[in-house]
Amino acid sequence: MDGVETAQFGAVVVLGLLVLFYGGTFLISTRIGKRKENADGYMTAGHNIGFGISAASMTATWIWASSMYASATSGYTYGISGPIHYGLWGALMILFIYPFGKRIRAVAPKAHTLAEVMYARHGRSSQLMLAGSNLVGSLISLMSNFIAGGVLISMLSPLNFIQGVFAVAAGVLLYTLWSGFRASVLTDFVQVVAMLGAVAVLVPVIFFAAGFPAAFETGAANLTAQQGDFFSSDAFMNQGAPYIAAVLAYAIGNQTIAQRLFAVRQDLIKPTFVTATVGYGAMVIGVGMLGVLALYLGFEPTGGDVNNLIPEMAADYLPPVLLAVFFLMIVGALSSTADSDLSALSSIMMADVYGQNVAGKEKANPKTMLLVGRITMVVATAAAVAFASLQLNILDLLVFVGALWGALVFPVLASFYWDKVTNKAFTTSVIAALAVFLPVRFGWIPMDGVTGIAVDVLSVIGIGVVLGLMVFGFLGLRAAKITGVLSAAAAAPFAIGSLHEYATLSGSLVAYSVSTVICWAMSAGSGERFDFALIARRTGDFDDGDTDGTGNAGGAAAAVPRQTGDGDGEPEPAGSTK
Amino acid sequence: MSTIALSTYILIWPVIVAVVLFVVGRAFYCEWAEARRDGRSLI
Repeated sequence: MDGVETAQFGAVVVLGLLVLFYGGTFLISTRIGKRKENADGYMTAGHNIGFGISAASMTATWIWASSMYASATSGYTYGISGPIHYGLWGALMILFIYPFGKRIRAVAPKAHTLAEVMYARHGRSSQLMLAGSNLVGSLISLMSNFIAGGVLISMLSPLNFIQGVFAVAAGVLLYTLWSGFRASVLTDFVQVVAMLGAVAVLVPVIFFAAGFPAAFETGAANLTAQQGDFFSSDAFMNQGAPYIAAVLAYAIGNQTIAQRLFAVRQDLIKPTFVTATVGYGAMVIGVGMLGVLALYLGFEPTGGDVNNLIPEMAADYLPPVLLAVFFLMIVGALSSTADSDLSALSSIMMADVYGQNVAGKEKANPKTMLLVGRITMVVATAAAVAFASLQLNILDLLVFVGALWGALVFPVLASFYWDKVTNKAFTTSVIAALAVFLPVRFGWIPMDGVTGIAVDVLSVIGIGVVLGLMVFGFLGLRAAKITGVLSAAAAAPFAIGSLHEYATLSGSLVAYSVSTVICWAMSAGSGERFDFALIARRTGDFDDGDTDGTGNAGGAAAAVPRQTGDGDGEPEPAGSTK
Repeated sequence: MSTIALSTYILIWPVIVAVVLFVVGRAFYCEWAEARRDGRSLI
């Protein structure tokens, strides 16, 4: 952890900024805190959040410290198109999921987690696969944000990494613990205002302070031909393409997005997701442009570590007051994601583990649920701090979770549209996809000859699946089939024979294709028909202490009566019941 | 790309960010005012 030598803050200043930030967010959270919180409000804030807060929360949650660092790194590495190939595809993760989100809310208007809906649709094994991947993913994200906080604080102050991790973890837990998701979304608004405001000011200030636009001419020689090309193939193949493959996987696998999907007022899903797409994209690409400026300047980050790039650019070109604003921007970015991760983890433990599997939907005690949620937050924070302190290499775990999410995409989405998908097809297809993914991604088997060709063929099918699913959300099945077939056919001549050399990309694509082919093959011949109306009856509020979970008896959500059973006399979901 | 085009390309993003900030902030204020008028919690 090499420090920035040019403009460090003193320990008192950093502690003052942290107290200002976390003290402020804590005070904000106390404005909505109630002595007796509602269990459903703790998870989804009554399913009735307005556009302003939900769009801000979605934006803040999706922006984490790593995304800003990675976007700048992409700009520094791949040149002028680098930030686009990072930020654009990350933004599209939000955009492409909203048509599916509308369908998910339509069939499960009062659910809390996607896994809970899978339980209602299929049963326990499907639910636990999704919930398990959500838990691991959120814990990794939480740990990454704590690490980012520790690095930043150790870089800009005399405090060390461990002290920084503890400070961030304690601050986030402080304002999230009592009111859960309600505190998370409200503080997200304040945090996103600070983050967006900071980017709107800091990027132009650094631009002019560093001698641009004149530096575009004096520094042009620092760029290679590829770095100076807006249509760089290097940038697309190494940065953009793997991200396109991950667009749907991360959106489906991330409970923080699903939680906001179930929290926003149903008629506001589209404007919320579209605004968050633009907000996330512009902010992350904007910060990424600092990497492009650094490239033109011939800037060398300390120790060659590109994670030092943004802090050092800020330290070199910003006056102390704006450097403090920069510090708060990064702390805001990592805190807004960390509090969302805590809320996601607690809601999964409350709804999926305790509510559906331990106590059962009918017997779940709202007070116990709240206790489970709060204990989960404390335990998750402690675990993330412990893992962060060990500074484990999380890359392999991230890759595995990403692949699991990729394997889940088709079975999950198909389960909301196709009444023939069975629990057996869901479970088998996901396990088979993982079984194929692992040797491809980690090179456990030689890729020479027929094996390599087979992987390439599966990858080409995966390309068709990914693009077909994207189109399906907006334009329907016919357009999706046409897109899938045409894109696979167009990719085949280039991909077959060579795509297996890109292990990350081909591993991700085979996860998509294998799960899709098997899920489709096992479901197409199925004689079962699922009645989607059952999902709404099998999911719903656990706590009738308030009508809408926010203390607003008679609120809009009161129009939907609490459902206490299936209506079919069956407490447990069946794979197919109609 | 020319210097002007590059400058525009770099500086357009903070402008878009500012627009989003305005849209989100205005929506939040309207929701806050409405909740206050109705005497209910914002969240």
